Amino acid sequence: MTVAVRSEPQRAPVGWSELLVCPHCDVLHRTVVLGRHEIAACIACGGILARHRSFSVDQLLALTVAAALLFLIANAYPLMIIEVGGMHTEATVWGAALLMLHGWTAWPAAVLALTMFILPLLQIALLLWLLTFASFGRRAPGFRGALVALHRSRPWSMTEVFLLGALVAIVKLSSWVHVTPGIGIWALASLMILLTVLSMVEPRFWWTLS
Amino acid sequence: MSSHAPSPVRAITAGVVACRTCGLVLRRLPVPTPLSSCPRCATLLRERLPRSGEHTLAWLIASVILYIPANVLPVMYVNGVGGGEESTILSGVLSFWKSGAWDIAALIFTASIAVPATKFLALGLLLWTVRRDSSWARRQRTALYRLVEIIGYWSMLDVVVVALTAALLKFKALGTAEPRLGIVFFCGVVVTTMIAALSFDPRLIWDRGRPDGR
Repeated sequence: MTVAVRSEPQRAPVGWSELLVCPHCDVLHRTVVLGRHEIAACIACGGILARHRSFSVDQLLALTVAAALLFLIANAYPLMIIEVGGMHTEATVWGAALLMLHGWTAWPAAVLALTMFILPLLQIALLLWLLTFASFGRRAPGFRGALVALHRSRPWSMTEVFLLGALVAIVKLSSWVHVTPGIGIWALASLMILLTVLSMVEPRFWWTLS
Repeated sequence: MSSHAPSPVRAITAGVVACRTCGLVLRRLPVPTPLSSCPRCATLLRERLPRSGEHTLAWLIASVILYIPANVLPVMYVNGVGGGEESTILSGVLSFWKSGAWDIAALIFTASIAVPATKFLALGLLLWTVRRDSSWARRQRTALYRLVEIIGYWSMLDVVVVALTAALLKFKALGTAEPRLGIVFFCGVVVTTMIAALSFDPRLIWDRGRPDGR
């Protein structure tokens, strides 16, 4: 649990690491060590402030390596395949975006490419970079820039939406033709789980990486 | 929580400010000093997002305007065995419904029509109550803001579906699919509502009105 500061501090030393401010309501809290499965919620607005981190740096690195491999598979193999009388089409994440990248559909195509491909890739690459150095007890070059980019790109990374969209597309297309799910969609589903686990790590933890 | 407990101290009254990027808590410098940057992540330190209400309102109005062509114009053209047909978001939902796939129909209706509409109403309500200096239901309004943040990007669902369908359905004999102009506006709705939600500073809910919330 995090305890709200109930008396006004006389002096607030610069960079007080035992203090935490709720981003949703501005209430000041004193941080405490969380036990297993414990979650710290804001006393005023109820928002989640911190979670117990159950993974070590090496374990987080392992998860990130797995995510990178799954990202590779999800993009190298088709998400779904249609075969009709010798004709064959298949769709990949970037293939769908590239196809629309002309004329007025270039706008949604660019948004798709950014949110479903470029930013998830950036997130994985940045985590890989930071955690590889951290596992050797070192601070990665460009640490600050990498973490700021990680923070800023997070709301725009939408792998899970892409997965659900692909599943809906399969159902929709199956009313016309026979659709087979490809290896890509299984990789994408596993990737989504790993990215969700990685995003549960509280943002403040990354700044304490050596 | 006992009702006799003193109300929690807020950063703004304690003279500290938290960096909005890395969360580092710093002592606030006296007012006349120019804006300073966070020593850890170099983000400009601000107590509140500047002109948050105006920015949110501007993006919200833009998204409401885009929402009209997004729903009226067709988002996809399918040229099948029985001839060509354009479909809007709503007609897509209806065709799933009629074909018996009520679950997919409900999913697309929620993501494409209900989620943007909920965001308009929720952000509108938040802007209006903040403007009125309301201290009503602060905790619930903050939860509403978090809901808007979480559900926001699911509206991209239909853009993904249209893109994948167009990428896959390109058989001259059986059928072809192409995106239509509506999807451009629809994508615009998703992006502008997300920017509107990110522009809103939920701490404003707690800044206005009586501090005890009664």
